[in-house]
Amino acid sequence: MLGLFGTLNLAGQSLQTQMTGVEVTGQNLANVDTAGYTRQTVDIQASPDIMTTVGPEGTGSEVASIQQAVDTLLNSQIQGQQSVNGYWSAQQSSLQSVQDSLDEFLSSTSSSSSSDDSTTSSGLSTQLNNFFNDLKNVSTSPTSIAARQTLISDAQNLASAFNQINSQLDQENTSLNSSLSNDVDSANKLLSGIATLNQQISAADSGGGNANDLMDERQQDLNNLAQLTDITTSNGTNGTVNVSISGETFVSGTQVVDTLQTFDPGNGNLLVGSPGTGGTAPLALTGGSMQGTIDARDGTLATLQSSVNTLASSLITQVNSIYSTGYSLTGATGSNFFNGSDAGTISVNSSLESDPSSFQASGSATASGDNTVVLELAELADTPQSNLDNETFSGSYDETVGNFGDALQTANTQVSNQTAVMNMLTTQQSSISGVSVDQEMTHLLGFQQAYEASAELVTTVNQMLGDTLAMKSAS
Amino acid sequence: MRVATESYINALTSQVNALSVQMGKLENEVTTGLSVQAPSDNPDAMETTLNDLSSQAAQQQYSSNITTLQSQANSIYSVLQSLQSITSQAQSIVTEAGSGTNSQTDLNDYASQVTSLIQQAVQLVNSTDPETGQYLFGGTDSGQQPFTTTTDSSGTITGVTYQGNSSVNQAEIGTGATISVGIPGANTSGTGPQGLITDSRTGADLFNHLIALQNDLLSGDTSAISSTDTQNLQNDENNMTYQVAYNGNVQTRLNTASSFASSQSTSLTQGISNASGADAVQTMVQLNETQNAYEAALETTSRVLQVSLVDFLT
Repeated sequence: MLGLFGTLNLAGQSLQTQMTGVEVTGQNLANVDTAGYTRQTVDIQASPDIMTTVGPEGTGSEVASIQQAVDTLLNSQIQGQQSVNGYWSAQQSSLQSVQDSLDEFLSSTSSSSSSDDSTTSSGLSTQLNNFFNDLKNVSTSPTSIAARQTLISDAQNLASAFNQINSQLDQENTSLNSSLSNDVDSANKLLSGIATLNQQISAADSGGGNANDLMDERQQDLNNLAQLTDITTSNGTNGTVNVSISGETFVSGTQVVDTLQTFDPGNGNLLVGSPGTGGTAPLALTGGSMQGTIDARDGTLATLQSSVNTLASSLITQVNSIYSTGYSLTGATGSNFFNGSDAGTISVNSSLESDPSSFQASGSATASGDNTVVLELAELADTPQSNLDNETFSGSYDETVGNFGDALQTANTQVSNQTAVMNMLTTQQSSISGVSVDQEMTHLLGFQQAYEASAELVTTVNQMLGDTLAMKSAS
Repeated sequence: MRVATESYINALTSQVNALSVQMGKLENEVTTGLSVQAPSDNPDAMETTLNDLSSQAAQQQYSSNITTLQSQANSIYSVLQSLQSITSQAQSIVTEAGSGTNSQTDLNDYASQVTSLIQQAVQLVNSTDPETGQYLFGGTDSGQQPFTTTTDSSGTITGVTYQGNSSVNQAEIGTGATISVGIPGANTSGTGPQGLITDSRTGADLFNHLIALQNDLLSGDTSAISSTDTQNLQNDENNMTYQVAYNGNVQTRLNTASSFASSQSTSLTQGISNASGADAVQTMVQLNETQNAYEAALETTSRVLQVSLVDFLT
């Protein structure tokens, strides 16, 4: 039998239990908007019974533990999806930037003289069209200086467009290398942070404490790390988590055992390795923004650069091989029209700018009005080129733009799909781990009522104790 | 399923953002009239549009070429008509002078007329294209005047020399289609385009024939006039008729090519519009629908976020 003091103790313990419930509810309400916060619940259990002559008698309630409402399988799924999401997001942002650099957009222009809108394209396609149309124009008026000046000016614009695209794509390449380095730095900080949190959680765990908030923080770090690269986690001792990347362990318990680093394999395009694997052997990453960046750089961007360079070098070769056989208005021959060998170096023979009459349009040294050579150059516009997959110059470039668009569209679609998947998973996670104000307020009312009831019990027992003491005084 | 408070906020924010993005896209389509602007919007449509724009630019250039060539052909035709008139006048002189009833004085007068005809003809065949400034009948050698005359001390024309060549330029009037509008002043090579004044295949040699006529008139050789000169000038007239017919064919081809380039350009404009243009009506309807959904989402957001159990607790 508890007796009055035992009952008073029971009421006091109950007050503490309900107070803990109020505190946990308050913590949940305070973190209703905190990213990554996992709601907590108070696990209240009946205190151990005591045996009496009439059987076991209860001793009230006590807080067994404060639990996190968490679904570890769901957390694991979200972590995995973060890598996929990070991969495609990196591809999308990289290629979006490349698309801006390519500057091949359609726009509509209104004619002031008519109500018709006409569609125009920016970028290299228009410059190519202008160049070949100018050649057609010169072939019709082969001795016209004005037509030659327009041709030379537009050829310079074409060369500048090639130079600019090449420069912009080089910058994109540099930018992606820089982005990769930043990701590696961020990943190393996260690995270090996870090891530190493991240490704190381990200390709290072995001391019998509550490390729920630290575990939330670590899960956030793991998700952020998964955005950067695909990771594998396993449970260690005392609540720690081990982290592996590409089969290599990077965090073991409370220690960071390896770090990520970038290295140059010799072509300036950085890759990711680690001192633990020799430093210059690339890790076989399969997801995350690091691999997304590498694939965007070494895949779509490299293909685009290669295509533009092949186009430029083919144009230089084909035009020069025909042009060099021609004769200028003064009978000079043998010069090249374009200098350079690729998109980065292409330029128009500088002597043409100051002297358009030196343009070698004629096929005969004695016939300045002949247009054989310039006509042959103009007909290049419609001639399939064997080293451009039997496409014309414009056709090849248009296909290059289309292929690039396919790559970015795929990335956009994947990001959209992954966002939907992540929304679904986070909604599921939120239904388990998220805080509901309504639910917490209901819990709060329950704890408040129970607290009031326990307080009433204290008052009652206190009054009974008073009555008992009064009986003694009376006797 | 249990719904956490943040789920409301996340779902509504996500929905409002998605609708906002969609609305921006549709507004842009309405403003520009284009459903495709960047390669990633629709790669196939972008490639098709760029291809069509290249073809359209080429067709426009062909139209421009054709306009230049039509002007050249018209200038040539004008000269041909005048030359036909000259050969016709020369034929009349041959007919009258060859009758044997004219005195030497009359024949001398005819000779003067022939000299004048030669001078007119030389002036005509040294014409330039008013648009390009190039000699019309110098072949591809545009550096110098095609025909020059030599005269003796009495002013009688003793020779007309051709300084051009027998080549003509081809010009593009369509994809893989070229045409030669020009006519060389002379062609004695036996191949290539027929010469306007002199051609070894037809026996045409207008200036030498007129000079011969002039000389025969001065010498009173009516026999040569009625036989050789008559036949020679007939050859020249036949050659001129051929050139007029050739010019007519060229002009017909140019007109056909011009119509084709124009219809191709129109067809390509339609193709571009189909590939990358926005359907104005459909886009406006979609925009209205999206705006309604956007407003509904905002209304829902404001209402849902206003209400919680706290409002009912006192």
